[in-house]
Amino acid sequence: MFRFLAVAWLASAILPAQNLAMKKHVLANGMTVIIHEDHDIPNVALYFFYKVGSRNEKPGTTGVSHFFEHMMFNGAKKYGPKQFDIVMENNGGRNNGYTSRDVTVYQDWFAKPALGLIIDMEADRIRDLAFDPKLVESERGVVYSERRLSVDNSPEGALDEQLWAAAYTAHTYQWSPIGWPSDIEGWTMADLKEHFSMGYAPNNCILVVSGDVTEAEALALAKKHLEPIPRRAGPPPVRTKEPEQKGERRVVLNRAAELPQQMIAFHVPATAHADTPAIELMTTVLAQGRSSRLEQRLVEREQLALTVQAGTNESIDPGLWTFYVQPRAGIETAQTEQALFSELERAGRTLVSDEELRKAKSQFLANFYRQMKTLGGKAGLIGGFEVYHGDAARLNDYASRIEKLTAADLQRVAKAYLTSQNRTVATLVPTKE
Amino acid sequence: MRFFVFCLFISTAAAQVKLPPYTKHTLPNGATLLLMPRAELPLTTVTAVFRGGAEADSVAGLASVTAELLERGTATKSTEQIALAFDSLGATLGTRANDSTLTIASEFLSRDSERALPLLAELANQPTFPEDEVKKVLAQYLDAARAVRDNPQAAAGTAYRRFFYGPSHPSARPVRGDESSLPKITRAMIQQYQRRMLVGRNLTVIAIGNFTPTELLPRLTTAFGSLPAGEAYTPIADPGVARGTKPRLLLVDKPDATQTYFFIGQPGIQRGHPDQVPLQLVNTLFGGRFTSMLNDELRVNTGLTYGANCRLDLNRLTGGIVISSFTKTETTVRTIDLALDLLKKLNATGVTADGLKSGKAYTKGLFPADRLETNEQLTQVLSELELYGLKRGEIDDLFSKIDSVTVERANLAAKAHYRTDGLVFVLLGNAAKIRDAVKKYAADITEMPIARIGLEP
Repeated sequence: MFRFLAVAWLASAILPAQNLAMKKHVLANGMTVIIHEDHDIPNVALYFFYKVGSRNEKPGTTGVSHFFEHMMFNGAKKYGPKQFDIVMENNGGRNNGYTSRDVTVYQDWFAKPALGLIIDMEADRIRDLAFDPKLVESERGVVYSERRLSVDNSPEGALDEQLWAAAYTAHTYQWSPIGWPSDIEGWTMADLKEHFSMGYAPNNCILVVSGDVTEAEALALAKKHLEPIPRRAGPPPVRTKEPEQKGERRVVLNRAAELPQQMIAFHVPATAHADTPAIELMTTVLAQGRSSRLEQRLVEREQLALTVQAGTNESIDPGLWTFYVQPRAGIETAQTEQALFSELERAGRTLVSDEELRKAKSQFLANFYRQMKTLGGKAGLIGGFEVYHGDAARLNDYASRIEKLTAADLQRVAKAYLTSQNRTVATLVPTKE
Repeated sequence: MRFFVFCLFISTAAAQVKLPPYTKHTLPNGATLLLMPRAELPLTTVTAVFRGGAEADSVAGLASVTAELLERGTATKSTEQIALAFDSLGATLGTRANDSTLTIASEFLSRDSERALPLLAELANQPTFPEDEVKKVLAQYLDAARAVRDNPQAAAGTAYRRFFYGPSHPSARPVRGDESSLPKITRAMIQQYQRRMLVGRNLTVIAIGNFTPTELLPRLTTAFGSLPAGEAYTPIADPGVARGTKPRLLLVDKPDATQTYFFIGQPGIQRGHPDQVPLQLVNTLFGGRFTSMLNDELRVNTGLTYGANCRLDLNRLTGGIVISSFTKTETTVRTIDLALDLLKKLNATGVTADGLKSGKAYTKGLFPADRLETNEQLTQVLSELELYGLKRGEIDDLFSKIDSVTVERANLAAKAHYRTDGLVFVLLGNAAKIRDAVKKYAADITEMPIARIGLEP
């Protein structure tokens, strides 16, 4: 059975709308397949989004989703250890994968003649993954090395981990997808097998095919190789909801560093919530480009900071709206946070001007379309909208939702979420070595 | 993340891909214009490429600081007005320098070319370098240079370049300057750099995107035709990289590090060297992809690291062949030993016929997505053709060049360039724990604290 998604052409006041044509099908086993044809270069991007991530973990096995992402490359029944990578590279392909709090994503990029082969290999490892104890141990070392690189030896990574740990007291977003060190050391074979049977059900997966294919051939290959994999129960629902924050939280990280850093986060609703476009556009007003409010004030006029950034993470459950500041040498974080807070307070108190609103819309939409430059970029957008907005087709009305926003919409979300009571402040304080 | 970017044989003799058509024009002031129309997203990318870049620096960081300041004040606009003008169009603006060029680049909606192009040309033609902006940018660069020491991988890379090339070599100089060079930069030096280098005879403008050439060409001509002709920059002669008679080792001490970052370098080639294509294939197999010998052994077989690779520099000036990886402090020597064993093995026995076949399929299969997919990639390709004086055959004949590489040819190149003598080691980590053990790699050892990176005279 399949469902055809009608594509709507947008009349845009600001930018010529870029419609991404796609066809969505649901296989008999519940796997969603979305196909975007693009014949510009003779290549294909194939992305598998499994809706399982560190939010589905428990204390004691944090990081297991990410560890599992690594194990998916260590051999199955038809294609044994190393074969997935060897065969892919032999045939002009490359792959990667990533794990977030919400999803585990496998990405393949390759020359188009390899399409059938790659889908066959992906089906093999979803159906018949092998669990070799020796490979588990060696991969544990790889993952620990990744943690040392991205967290233990990185000031930003270490501070980000502390920020989330402080901002969430109940919900599983409190740990990072890399996992706590003691859990990395402690995973067992049983943990891995349990995770696989929970997360890797075909009905818990969205496949996006973007590139030099026809809908018919891509669908036929998916039906041949992926549809026979039996449907299973997916991950159980994540029941815990983060209670409302009732007061500012502060966390300090002392470590050897040249300059302090600060991350400040506010709880916001899940990406699927109606406020998301307004939050994203307000983020643009505050921190996108040199003419943005925070850049102008903190970096240019008052010269308090070297860098200011802001953003939200796409998330299935309520997430964080985060601001990052790297103060200049000799400037205290007390000074940068005061300037930041006063700008956030102004955003909730007064309306942005018409000119600022127009500018932010142009910036936002141009950047939105820039994600469509590559086959991989398009696959990522399509899968992201399917997971976080509940339907990939919403990608094609996002521009019009942004264009409809008013200054009052932006003021309302700033006032609602950027409050001192909803705030977590993580500060890296340099110590001398 | 699985790793950072970077048997069965089914069919696939990949068809040769071609560079899309483009036209070339010369303006009366000597500037070259390259126009490549593409019917993709309604965006146009225009990049003004001035030759020289950091190579022409009298003091390290001068070209970068000059580039940064082009966005900070012109005859008619302040920093804020310039930022506002581009942001309001949803356009990007980037002014930066690398080893051999200074570029001013913008991507804007194709329908805005009439507004964006004069702005872009004004940055090159009428910068005013206000005193307060010069002071601000130099101070920001100085802070950023300090912050490099908070990123061990970047700090190790900085130390590596200086130690590998030697302090006076142009490739050793940090493009964005360091704490000893930045305080020497004055406004007069910046003005002088701009007047000498940002001239018509030194300029190639590359326009790629969804536009009509008959419309865009006159606009580009008006915008960039007003630059003075000036003198074309004469690139410096290639100083080359000499192989030492003995190995050398630099140990950078970071007492709180829990892992060691290491580089093992040796002299490589320059772009256009007769061994280039065979070496690119050899390097892919040795350290340029996930199943490469290095990554297979150091990551997949032993779990010692998250990633190991080897880079083959391909610049106008001769560069290096550089193995790099990282591992926890306790396994430093084991990991370096394994990397050296693989290097020795490559030199002695070379690559196999099956390996070479796979390397060819890999390179050709991914080439379109790596080099020809976006306007930015195509800009980079056209810029390289111009800078290195290459013809479009560089792209259009690439696959036949790849196909013609035999195992014998590849292994002759491997033997000549992937050697085990005169290696240059740079390690960053907890020196107290590894100092004694790494003495075996070189009699000639230098040690410095991480706090001194960027402070050497």
